[in-house]
Amino acid sequence: MRKTFLTSAISAAALLLTSCGGDGGSNDFGGTPSPSPSPTPTPSPVDGNGGAYTAPAQESLTVTDVQTIIAQAVGEATARNLPSVIAVTDRVGNVLAVFEMNGARPTATTSARTALGAINNPLVDVQGVEVPAAAGAIAKAVTGAYLSSAGNAFSSRTASQIVQEHFPPAPTTAGLESGPLFGVQFSQLPCSDFNQRFGNVGTAALIGPKRSPLGLSADPGGLPLYKNGVVVGAIGVMGDGDYGFDPNILDIDDDDEEAIALAGIQGFAPPAAVTANRISVDGTQLRFSDVVVSDLAPLQSNYAAISGTAGNLIAVKGYAANVIIAGSAYGTEASGIRSSTATEFKNRDAFVLSDGAGTNRFPIRGATDGASVTTPLTAAETRAILEEAFIIMSRARAQIRQPLDSRAQVSISIVDTHGEILGIVRSPDAPIFGTDVSLQKARTASFFSNSVAASDLLGNPDTDVAAFVGRVRTFLNDPNALTGTVAFADRSGGNLSRPYFPDGELGRPHGPLSRPIEDFNPFATGLQAALIFPNLGQHLAFVTGAAPMDTPMRCTNTPDAVPGQNRLENGIQIFPGSVPIYRGNQLIGGLGVSGDGIDQDDMISFLGLHNAGQRVGSIGNAPKAIRADNIVVDLGNANVRLRYVSCPFAPFLDTDAQNVCEGL
Amino acid sequence: MTGLSASFVPIMAVLSGQAEQMETQRASVEQMESSLTALLAGERFDWIRTESDAFGTQLAMGGPDPDEEEAEFGEASASGPSTPKDASNSSILEQSGTPDQLEMDFDGLAADDALIDGRRRPGVQKELPDRVTQNNPGAVNAPPPEAFPTDEFPVPDRWRIMQSLCPAKGGDQAIYTLFGALRNNCHSTLNPYNQNVLKGDKPIPADKKPGFLKGDDWFFVANAISDTVIEPRSFPIPVGVQTTERPNSIDVFGRSGSEVYAQTFITGFALIKGSTAYKPPDVEYRLTLATQVNHVNVPERRVLFVEPSKSSHRTDWFVGVQEAFFDYHIRNTSARYDFDSFRIGIQPMQADFRGFLFQDNQLGFRLFGTRDNNRIQYNLGAFVQLEKDTNSGLNDITQTPRESYIFFANLYRQDLPFVGLTSQFSVTYNMNREKSDVEIDDNGFPVRPALLGDLRGRAYDVVYPGYAFDGRIGRINLTGQVYGAFGEDRNSFFTSEPANIAAYFGAVEASYDVDFLRFRASGLFASGDGNPYNNTEAGFDAIFENPIFAGADTSYWIRQTIPFAGGGRVISINGRNGILNSLRSSKEQGQSNFNNPGTILAGVGVDADLTPDFRLSGNANHLWFHKTESLEALRVEGSIPRDIGWDLSLAAIYRPKATQNMVFRLSGAALIPGKGFKDLFDQTDKRDFHYSILLNAILAF
Repeated sequence: MRKTFLTSAISAAALLLTSCGGDGGSNDFGGTPSPSPSPTPTPSPVDGNGGAYTAPAQESLTVTDVQTIIAQAVGEATARNLPSVIAVTDRVGNVLAVFEMNGARPTATTSARTALGAINNPLVDVQGVEVPAAAGAIAKAVTGAYLSSAGNAFSSRTASQIVQEHFPPAPTTAGLESGPLFGVQFSQLPCSDFNQRFGNVGTAALIGPKRSPLGLSADPGGLPLYKNGVVVGAIGVMGDGDYGFDPNILDIDDDDEEAIALAGIQGFAPPAAVTANRISVDGTQLRFSDVVVSDLAPLQSNYAAISGTAGNLIAVKGYAANVIIAGSAYGTEASGIRSSTATEFKNRDAFVLSDGAGTNRFPIRGATDGASVTTPLTAAETRAILEEAFIIMSRARAQIRQPLDSRAQVSISIVDTHGEILGIVRSPDAPIFGTDVSLQKARTASFFSNSVAASDLLGNPDTDVAAFVGRVRTFLNDPNALTGTVAFADRSGGNLSRPYFPDGELGRPHGPLSRPIEDFNPFATGLQAALIFPNLGQHLAFVTGAAPMDTPMRCTNTPDAVPGQNRLENGIQIFPGSVPIYRGNQLIGGLGVSGDGIDQDDMISFLGLHNAGQRVGSIGNAPKAIRADNIVVDLGNANVRLRYVSCPFAPFLDTDAQNVCEGL
Repeated sequence: MTGLSASFVPIMAVLSGQAEQMETQRASVEQMESSLTALLAGERFDWIRTESDAFGTQLAMGGPDPDEEEAEFGEASASGPSTPKDASNSSILEQSGTPDQLEMDFDGLAADDALIDGRRRPGVQKELPDRVTQNNPGAVNAPPPEAFPTDEFPVPDRWRIMQSLCPAKGGDQAIYTLFGALRNNCHSTLNPYNQNVLKGDKPIPADKKPGFLKGDDWFFVANAISDTVIEPRSFPIPVGVQTTERPNSIDVFGRSGSEVYAQTFITGFALIKGSTAYKPPDVEYRLTLATQVNHVNVPERRVLFVEPSKSSHRTDWFVGVQEAFFDYHIRNTSARYDFDSFRIGIQPMQADFRGFLFQDNQLGFRLFGTRDNNRIQYNLGAFVQLEKDTNSGLNDITQTPRESYIFFANLYRQDLPFVGLTSQFSVTYNMNREKSDVEIDDNGFPVRPALLGDLRGRAYDVVYPGYAFDGRIGRINLTGQVYGAFGEDRNSFFTSEPANIAAYFGAVEASYDVDFLRFRASGLFASGDGNPYNNTEAGFDAIFENPIFAGADTSYWIRQTIPFAGGGRVISINGRNGILNSLRSSKEQGQSNFNNPGTILAGVGVDADLTPDFRLSGNANHLWFHKTESLEALRVEGSIPRDIGWDLSLAAIYRPKATQNMVFRLSGAALIPGKGFKDLFDQTDKRDFHYSILLNAILAF
């Protein structure tokens, strides 16, 4: 009794004394301030039928909005004397305008600065490639739009923070693990079979997600645009000719491109409560922008005053005409991502990808790989996996969303062993990037666990690609590696795809699917980049007009599984969030999840598949004995085990259970 | 010191450089012992720091007995704060001794004059005795000096009076038949348990004194202590991120049990000039080295080393300089040896009675002394923090000292506001300029700036005004402490902007003795920060805590470090041998962090002195976070309850010889997790509590 009285009395006194002090103007990016944290929502039970999510309001950018945004950006670019190319996209990646200022550098070069700080020579993978400045601007805009949601506003600077060899990139973090989204820059690829392209006609004109000419960008200068708390698009600025990344987040990087983009989003800035700096990963705050509003010159928002005088709208081959168009409203049929119908998916929260005319692009179906698999996945099994994964997602606590204790929001994809899509569902406000990435992850897990993984890679006409097989076999001291004896989740393959093995440890060799640290930077990730490098070259030649033909809608030169079916049609992904699907000991597909924290993605795939197996029988996760975490790599003076999945701490909103994957 | 040379107390007093203070205040044996444990147990590992405690002593600098209830093993009596040893004697001269004064209330009466009803004090009588008139006819005078023989053997100094009577080896032993007790004074000079030149019992003989020591009465003191720690414990440990020790490690939390073994040898040397037993020494030179070998074994990877490929056990050793100072007695300011002294070098420093704010051996300058017959004591000091060795927690003088400076002033006043209660007023200023500093610890983990929030470097100025009291009111022993922390953090890691620091701390412990039992109740409050994103940091953090409170290091929460899995890499909820939930990278090497959840503790305990050489102690504490918003922001988890849980502990202390030369302690503590702890952490072991077992053996020469 006494202690209660005492402590409460002291607390009360302390409260009185500490309650002075107002809200700081910190990290002011122009969004509405949020002085007090939102109350924690009471989680309602998840029954698998929906009602756990509220779909974001259907907002979109008008032509006038886009004009204002461009004018503001041009004003800042003029003030900073950095004529630039400015791109604006909507949330699903439609390029609404590309404005080239007079005197803007027409091209930019991907950074050849390696993780060790030297300029690499010879160049490796996508390093040192000259690209149209407009392509850089579009990639940055797509990055801002695709990584953000109503719960998190991320930028290309945020991307820079989470794709490097240590997380976060800083002098103090040498030796720590790589960024959680290591490799995400090679998604939304221009060769993707999944992403849409500019030039669709009719109702399909604005369906997304659209591809990005350079994948996602780690170069500051791509910021999302919001209206009424909803993502409506993003701006990307390319002006300095250097398409790179920020290797040190400890300093305050006065980046002109970022300042220009920040001026552009004024009036459309994300709410302060959801910007990246309000979101922590392992206690490390993410970064939205190093430039703040007070760094900006007086805002110029008169489009008429700059149109034709400061520069002009330009057409970009494969992306935009030289006009401003209005954005699509995310969630509408026209945007290509809409809520599902009851016949499409039982859970009423689910969103699906649509063709603009009402037809689900990826309706749930049974597997197509009967030629390779004894008992392929049935449509009912596919549906069960998606439903169970959706339930796990609905119960999961989001890692990257505000307010705290929001539900996780992700995209979930299933493929068969031929890489064919058997179904894709999303939560209403899952970040767009995860749609393509979940598919990449599903295909990657399915591919590397497949008995033909080695032969597929060896059959790739690019000798650079084929060479990785031998490296893996040497590294693992297993001449039969990549022949289906081991179940590789994306986390496992990711272990082998880092420039240090084990991940982040200085002085160790690179993983066999990666590049030596002397060569590494986010443009040179090894096999991942090598697989799509020819496609990227083809595409850039098309964009610049040097070649008439675009790259086909099918990444990589890997041999087809059967004619018309290819296992890696949108590239591979090398960060966690997928599991291979097994029936007994036989691989029958892959399940990929993307959009929240990587541990959440892991759990949604692993537990979703497990629960589906419990429900429908015979399918499930790989038997423990063949999971990749049985592989121990002998480094001579140390033994390092691969990982399989990692389920998160405090994973669920409806229970305080921990270690929920233990023993499964 | 003479005659007590074998005792632990003076050793520690000397060791801790407290020779002067020891004369005026009783240093309690157990306090020493606890300090030793606190000092020496060292092991430390990575960001799950189990490190050792800093080497330090619990003797309040210039202050009274800091740990009255932990003290006095074998003295069950409720004694007040230490009384100047000479007070009762010297005061006779001034005492009027009139009976009516005895009826006065204490408010108007100095302690010297007080005579508690029913008690007697030598030399003090309520009624003056009848006058004695000398009337002794026929008495003779003492013989004149010339009457004595002139062939007497001269006595070199007063410390050797007895030994000078000892017969030569093999000589005539007849004197023992006359004075049997003399045998006790006639031993080999090498025997440390008798009066010994090497232990400061006797001055260095004039013929062996090096030439550079001017004057007489130089004492040499060497001491050696062995401290052994065997510590099996458990706490939540995340499995390695990049690789795991075992297959099927597919969740965040792995096994929790681990062990620490640490062996420390403390060797100290001092040269002291002075008439030690009668007045403060004039000059003291002291050097104390601590040599530690530690071994830690944990169940998961990337706990002990940043390199995940390294094995999950580690053996390390270090030699730290824990004391290296020069102490000079400037002057006496009264006939009672009130004094002013200064001390410069690496020296123990404790900011308050219980080590809540700063208790460490650090490099600095301190001016200190007493007034009013030792009833006022003061300290003025300026310190710079030495870098610590990561795994032992010992001072590493081979590294550049940290850009963290501590300035303090404090004043102790006995019998304020009541007789029996000592008050301390203090102001401590920590000036931290480590904004551009990058420190990677010995295991490869970054500790400055901490891997928290925006990760940017921080500098801060924080002033801690404090008030403390220690002593008793009637039969209730009381100790208490209040601190504020005010200042500015140049970069809040949540907002990337400067923030005001405004945090509060309060702790109180009361105890009551019944026969051989002492019952204790403790309460502690350290404010937490409730809004990470405003520009006020309201979480209280200390500079370098080593709290002797609520069971001290036998308690789970004080002894063990809980890694803040998921909320910060290389960040612990609380520090080893620390009670504050401060989210620091390291208690020893990290910066103070005022964006923290705060701490609330309420507990009871009992000490049972079953025999003079055996004590059992039990503690039951309950702990809470004050505000969990900072934890929630870092974990991106909106509903972390405040309840940490129950911390239950039991300790047995055995001193086979009833001295401090051999002290064995076995303690066991369990943390029964509350809702908040369960919400944060887990383990794969089939056990729903965490444990901390500490076996500690201290052997002193």
